[in-house]
Amino acid sequence: MQMPLDVQYIIELLPILLKYLSVTMEMAILGFCFAIILAVILAVVRVLKLPLLRHLASVFISFFRGTPLLVQLFLLYYGLPQVLPIFAGVDAFTAAIIGLSLHFSAYMAESIRAAIMGIDKSQMEACLSIGMTRLQAMRRIILPQAARVATPSLMNYFIDMIKSTSLAFTLGVAEIMAKAQMEASSSFKYFESFLAVALIYWAVIELFSRLQHYLEIRMNRAY
Amino acid sequence: MIKVQNLSKKFADNTVLNGINFDVAHGEIVVIIGPSGTGKSTLLRCLNFLETPSSGVIEIAGVRVDSETATAAQITSLRKKSSFVFQNYSLFANKTALQNVAESLLTVWKEPKSAALKHAETILQQVGLSEKIHQYPSQLSGGQQQRVGIARAMAAKGEVILFDEPTSSLDPEWVDEVLAVMKQLAVQKQTMIIVTHEMQFAREVANRVIFMEGGNIVEQGTPQQIFEHPQQQRTKEFVARATKQSLTALDSAML
Repeated sequence: MQMPLDVQYIIELLPILLKYLSVTMEMAILGFCFAIILAVILAVVRVLKLPLLRHLASVFISFFRGTPLLVQLFLLYYGLPQVLPIFAGVDAFTAAIIGLSLHFSAYMAESIRAAIMGIDKSQMEACLSIGMTRLQAMRRIILPQAARVATPSLMNYFIDMIKSTSLAFTLGVAEIMAKAQMEASSSFKYFESFLAVALIYWAVIELFSRLQHYLEIRMNRAY
Repeated sequence: MIKVQNLSKKFADNTVLNGINFDVAHGEIVVIIGPSGTGKSTLLRCLNFLETPSSGVIEIAGVRVDSETATAAQITSLRKKSSFVFQNYSLFANKTALQNVAESLLTVWKEPKSAALKHAETILQQVGLSEKIHQYPSQLSGGQQQRVGIARAMAAKGEVILFDEPTSSLDPEWVDEVLAVMKQLAVQKQTMIIVTHEMQFAREVANRVIFMEGGNIVEQGTPQQIFEHPQQQRTKEFVARATKQSLTALDSAML
């Protein structure tokens, strides 16, 4: 009969897993940066009702919100190279970042759009009245104000993204979840291994939640 | 300098402006009066294309736009010829007073930053706000915000400034400081079109008063003609009531 919980094993495993945390965080941070850029473009296209592009944006958002992230990652990494050979050279790490950013940009676009719609219409009118174009108005006045409104929900998506990087192990990316899986299958200590990886995710996300709180206080002080 | 021809605006089947025609000369100060809901603000907003007219032609300082064929580029160049002062100030909430005034210089007119800020500071000085240039709108009183609004409109290099009830949402104590700034602009022969309920101000400052009702220009003339010898029955009634109101206000103020 084994001990119910091998604490010693967990303590030894933690530093091993932590070495792979950089891969996880790299995917999350890069993915989030691309996702924000894409999300802002999608949101602006939809708010300004740009012809043609707005329909593309709607279909894009609908697809990436309407299908599971895992399916999207598989399509991108295992499926796409079969029809478009140019994608055959894309490694798993890059594919995971692309998949994560496409997926999350769809959600983030909607919360950025909601934030933009929440900005008083008179702000746009004031921009137009002094001769600015609608894009200039967005860039200089509307988006900076919307950013403040959208920050809490965008931070939530970032936290969600950190956790979602664990799916990248299904593409063969060696991040902390993949390492935990490997350790588990060689030691047969599944509970300890997955508990260790859960603790790491929890700690990291707790850290970012604190940061989010601090950031919100700072932003609300700005004006 | 400004020519408005046959300007109409319909919301669904509600006609708000009914084929308006008028001209404004360079340096002229035109005050538009009339009962609420008669299209005064809509007219002003159409001049700036904040509302898109249903039909009609607007020409300001050589830029002529037919509202039925207007392109985005035409609308932007028309807007550069005028600027707007809003009833609720509508200052950029994320910018300081100085940045509010400098914004058009930087973004629209592409002035270098240092020149734009210096220029903006001079304009804020003219409206008496040198002390407040680094304050955000939320830190200013209503009267101060509206003076920044006027400064922003002055900076925008338009030929004409459009005022949409600039004192209507102000506490009474701030009205005078805003009117004073507008009077100062009048002395400088700044072309202005002003929608207001301040009859005394209209009488003192306007070169011409337009009385509007039901989407039409009922009567126009010098302040003396409109306030002392109105020709149309509707103008007589409106002016009598408006003047009586301000007399009553004066009475209660003196009590």
